[in-house]
Amino acid sequence: MQADARLPEKLEKALKKDVLKRLPLTFLPYVNQQIIQWSYLFPNERKAVEALLVYVNDLTAEQSERLFRDVVEIEGKMGVRHWKFSTAEQTIQDSSQLASSPWFQDWRRAVQAVFDAAEENARMAGGASDALRNRLVLLSMPRNIAVGEASVWRRWKGMGEAHAVDPSVSGMGQGAMEYLLQGAPDAAASAVPSVGAGLLITMQKRRDSSLANIWVVDAEKSLVESILAPGSTNAQPGGAILLSYVRLERYRESFAHEMNSMRKDLSDADTVFDRLRKVEVTKWCPREVLADPVIPEFVRSLYLSGNGAVIFGNSFVEWAASEAFRRARPALLAAQFGMRGKPKPFTGVAVFENPDQVNPLPTVDDLPGSATDAEMLALYVWLAACRYDEYQKRTACVCLAESLGRAYVVAPREFNALLGKGPFSLARLRGALCEWMA
Amino acid sequence: MEHELCPAAEMGTTDELLPLSSRRRFLQAAGVLAAGRLVGPAFAEAGPREAAGSGHRVIVVVIGGVRREETFSREGLVNIPHLSGELFSKCLFFPHARNEGVTAHFNAISSILTGNWQRVDDWGKLAPTTPTLFEQFRKGLGVSAGNAWVVASNKALTSQIGASSDSQYGPAYGANVIFPKQLMLQAVADALRGGRTANMADRSKVEAELESAMQGSNYEGLGWNIFDASDRLDPRARETIQNAIATFVHSGGPTSGDELTFFMSREVMRKFAPQLLVVAYSDVEAAHFGSYAMHLSGIRTADRLAYQMWQEIEANPEYRGKTTMVILPEFGRDPDGSSTNGFFNHRANEDSTRDTWMIALGAAVDRPQIVERTVRHVDLCPTLAGLLGCPPVTMQGVRLAELRG
Repeated sequence: MQADARLPEKLEKALKKDVLKRLPLTFLPYVNQQIIQWSYLFPNERKAVEALLVYVNDLTAEQSERLFRDVVEIEGKMGVRHWKFSTAEQTIQDSSQLASSPWFQDWRRAVQAVFDAAEENARMAGGASDALRNRLVLLSMPRNIAVGEASVWRRWKGMGEAHAVDPSVSGMGQGAMEYLLQGAPDAAASAVPSVGAGLLITMQKRRDSSLANIWVVDAEKSLVESILAPGSTNAQPGGAILLSYVRLERYRESFAHEMNSMRKDLSDADTVFDRLRKVEVTKWCPREVLADPVIPEFVRSLYLSGNGAVIFGNSFVEWAASEAFRRARPALLAAQFGMRGKPKPFTGVAVFENPDQVNPLPTVDDLPGSATDAEMLALYVWLAACRYDEYQKRTACVCLAESLGRAYVVAPREFNALLGKGPFSLARLRGALCEWMA
Repeated sequence: MEHELCPAAEMGTTDELLPLSSRRRFLQAAGVLAAGRLVGPAFAEAGPREAAGSGHRVIVVVIGGVRREETFSREGLVNIPHLSGELFSKCLFFPHARNEGVTAHFNAISSILTGNWQRVDDWGKLAPTTPTLFEQFRKGLGVSAGNAWVVASNKALTSQIGASSDSQYGPAYGANVIFPKQLMLQAVADALRGGRTANMADRSKVEAELESAMQGSNYEGLGWNIFDASDRLDPRARETIQNAIATFVHSGGPTSGDELTFFMSREVMRKFAPQLLVVAYSDVEAAHFGSYAMHLSGIRTADRLAYQMWQEIEANPEYRGKTTMVILPEFGRDPDGSSTNGFFNHRANEDSTRDTWMIALGAAVDRPQIVERTVRHVDLCPTLAGLLGCPPVTMQGVRLAELRG
């Protein structure tokens, strides 16, 4: 989807008519930032900005005043005009001031109402509904993550159903996720490759196929490397966004180093962030991340927004998936969890530092801890998808626990009909998934 | 579509992103402001184990953000065997203690300590705006600085937590504030910078690294504001810290920041027997990094350390029979599925984040009971001030009648 810096015609027109002057103060950091970063936005994000600004531009002065009345009133109560408030971009200081205000929750509700109105307007204007396309969230806790039979899906509170899966057909050294995404190892050589093909090829044949529509996020690296391997059955390079926590090590470490070399303090968090927003990152990216300029920037935003993405592979997977749903609304998101090490004695407090750098003791796998993390974070990935309309009706979620030989399925009736009753083989699961996504 | 105008606020704190060096500089700055203003000569007066006012002693243990789901719920009890076991059988239990203020660390703890909902800077740059319990206690009863302490793991706190900006009170009546976890962070940073990381893997050398960090160029950088005028650490404070480090290093037990905070608190109790001590743990905040297992481990640690603190109270003649210990979380954490990433953060305006619990044990508890009505975090300060015998101060909080001196 190579970045296109040009703004759509309607949006250009709205900006020329000074639509930004109609917006309340607290809308400006977000809108300005999105326009500046237009090249690095996913199509879904562009649509949202365009929908808002074109909608406001089409309103009469009275109508737009009415639309923003609550927000403006709350801004007045908050005293935003007296704050040191950046309108050029979103800053930590802006957020901190908003969040500390007693009117914060009211402000959030009022802002949400404006976005809802813009979205409703876009829907009424006849925008194609993405909610009608089939989608898939595929999660895997691989064999080395020994999750507990009683605990693994307890928090899903009966949203779906657990099925026994026979993993024995997964083929030579392939993990279940690899097999589902890429098909059988001999699929490429088969006389009828599509028979054994995996989800990636199926997806790339879809009418709505695009880079932003297919995501694979790996807490380690074997899954992504299998897709990148020469002779892989994956169709074209650059056909999917591939993120591997381990393959991003150089990016991560360099980024952390940049942060640690900042001669700033907590009170200057925005300066730290500003520097990190600008630092050149492409030299640290593995080749799959350089497939499109939007991807290195996505990773940068993950690292800047925290939530453990720089620290733990499983947190990276969860946060990357959550942000992918929020920003790109992919049709297929495949996420594989992995193992993390135990915190080391004494130096475990310095979690931001590379543990191998600050303590020479060998890293010991945290088997139960990694399983507990993965159980929770797999649920969080699915819950993150559930927050958006696009995933409400036509989305299947399949969560594999390889060590148990079981899969948990939350899906519409139509998908369950394709899958049939368990126990089933991975081949049957792959077939059902491909059919669902074709 | 959910709006995205305030992503940083959605994502909670950014302190996890800030490097050791930055945190150190920040604490330096904070420490410089406080240096020399607190204990100073008053330390020498701490020896006689004075007991002002009612003579009642108060220990408050605050344990970061934990949800009911992981603690006082059917599934959560496994994480708090002591709080729900030995301690529960003798406590006054408030199942609903609400944080109705800003659910960020500095504001939450300063609201607990002032009896008013504080809305100051989240980074601890600004002091609470109304007098803390320490100031009410010290000014109201003419108590020396050695009698009021804060020992905290949480790196979101600064020494500003020890005293308010109220012109009638302020640092002259504040608490001694120390951050043992900063000592560990400093030791790690020093070892890394000096190419001595091997030392951090050798228990026998860790002690030297920690002591070296403590005796480095500035104690303020570690959050210690227990100075004398000559810019040297008071010898009794030094001995206290050294003892705590030695116990921590050689106990053979876990080595988290909260463990060191506990050992430091215990040493402070043994050496100075302050009448008012606040201990803030923060291992549970590993949740910000997304490790649920480490968050649960932090809860179990806090549970055990709270129990060990109670054991110390029971064993220490300065405290036995005349101490009330209160244990409460600062707030909960966000619910699963929230736009704020669930347990990672504590920003959602939901019961999961606001509705916590509180336990009181000891001298002010007539009989174990469960108080079903909802109480507020700001109610604790006037209650404890009353137990200590402080002159009344107007606050948003109201005294909890179930706790009697």
